[in-house]
Amino acid sequence: MFALYKKEIQSFFYSPFAYVLSALFMLIFGFAFVNRIASMQTSVFQFSFPDMFYNNFFYFVFIIPLLTMRSFADERRGGTEVQLLTSPLTVTQIVLAKFLAIETVFLFMIALSMFYPIYISFHGTVIWASLICGYISFFLWGTVCITLGMLFSSMQSSAIIAAIIGEIFMEGFLFLDQFAATKMVESHPQLNSVITWFSMQRRFVYFAQGLFRLEDLVFFISLTVLVLFWIILYIEKRRWSHR
Amino acid sequence: MVEVKNLTKHYGRVTAVNDLSFEIRDNEILGFLGPNGAGKSTTMNIIAGYLPCSEGTVTVCGHDIKEDARAAKRCIGYLPEIPPLYPDMRVEEYLRYCAGIKGLRHSEIKPEVEKVMRRLSLIDMRRRLISNLSKGYKQRTGLAQAIIGDPKLLILDEPTVGLDPSQVTELRKLILDLGRDHSVILSSHILGEISAVCSRVVIINKGQLCAVDTIENLERRATDSIILNLTVEGDQSAANKVLSEIGGIREINEIADDDESFSSFKISLENEKVRQEITSAMVKNGINVVEMSTERPDLEKVFLELTNKKGSKDSSDDK
Repeated sequence: MFALYKKEIQSFFYSPFAYVLSALFMLIFGFAFVNRIASMQTSVFQFSFPDMFYNNFFYFVFIIPLLTMRSFADERRGGTEVQLLTSPLTVTQIVLAKFLAIETVFLFMIALSMFYPIYISFHGTVIWASLICGYISFFLWGTVCITLGMLFSSMQSSAIIAAIIGEIFMEGFLFLDQFAATKMVESHPQLNSVITWFSMQRRFVYFAQGLFRLEDLVFFISLTVLVLFWIILYIEKRRWSHR
Repeated sequence: MVEVKNLTKHYGRVTAVNDLSFEIRDNEILGFLGPNGAGKSTTMNIIAGYLPCSEGTVTVCGHDIKEDARAAKRCIGYLPEIPPLYPDMRVEEYLRYCAGIKGLRHSEIKPEVEKVMRRLSLIDMRRRLISNLSKGYKQRTGLAQAIIGDPKLLILDEPTVGLDPSQVTELRKLILDLGRDHSVILSSHILGEISAVCSRVVIINKGQLCAVDTIENLERRATDSIILNLTVEGDQSAANKVLSEIGGIREINEIADDDESFSSFKISLENEKVRQEITSAMVKNGINVVEMSTERPDLEKVFLELTNKKGSKDSSDDK
């Protein structure tokens, strides 16, 4: 399993892929950072990283499908899926190795964004507890989006189509809250509660405010495990109905 | 080594493979023949553990491919029709990765990769990107990933497709060499390749088993008569008269010849003895024999005969 993980990491870092995506991510983060500083009205800088994470995530979710689109689709298109499935590795090991590799790239991106709070810490004060909470939520939400992106990739043999489906789905997730707030949904309290329960943004806001709720942690982790399990089942199912 | 019993694969209402049973012995190269769409690749994919079968069992080195998949897959090296290569990897890097996913220990990987590269003459290409390799070297790299970890069974699905004649000859030599210490299943629709490399052949058509036998036995069974090509001096009527008096001749076909001083025939004989009788009769009647040769029925005839018999099933294995 480590060999596959290593190969996946190499495919990201031996090509410009991970660097271009990281640069895009840093650019988005940098714009938000500069905007905040540029709109300073007093000499005391009231800087909220959780706010920035929240705003940044709107852009970040669109990077995730680009990160995950190749994971399974490229293996199918290039004929290397046969090699993986005829190797002694189990489907679970294959999925986990790929998931961990993408998570590593994601952590690399998160680590790069640490530049901003570290820079601030030299010139002002950073509330580390709030920052860490923001980072945890950012990581957990990102992880759920990664598993979803991988699921779409496992369903396609074209990486581009997998990315487009991912983008549409991510956008749908972001607008779930607004949909829940519509008069139509609000008039049906039960439907409203179901949609609100699935809303990841609401949970993200709690985290971003520095509120660490076990319920939200369980939600993100269980959703990640559920989607990973779905990917494994989907690949197995495809083997059975292969044409 | 491998035992395939009553293997059946349905794709919805379509039956791709129907009740196949055969075995592969230790250090044997088994040819897998069939026209396009006969179910060769499906059968190979099932044996390799890529596709599950609908019914039946496949046992590799005593391990059931369904029940004990990991142990069975450790005994298999598979080269699919399209070699499973990553174009952005270098040859050595790719082979190290293959050794890793096959479960080799870290300390075993380097010597194993070196050994395989040496055996397949890939040493000079070790630093080359796979995308920059020629078709022949790509096929070699594909074969290298199959033999890495020294699996007992090699499954090679049409390994010579797209190669030039010298590459085909080289690859055949390699397969023959591998057959000394591995059991090999070689699928191909190039009959010359199968007869040059394989000791036994499985012929399938439309998912059904047509024959399992040695090439010699199959050729012998192809036709029970011998075809004799005969050219004699003089006109055809004299020779025809002599031939009509000999028993054991099934059919005489006269072959038109521009040169009227010679006559040519294609004669179907019941057995080898009749040939001697023809020679004696010609000499006795003062007809000079210019040329006499027998035609051996080849694998191509067997193949065409068996695959044209719709739904025929003959599992007269020589076991």
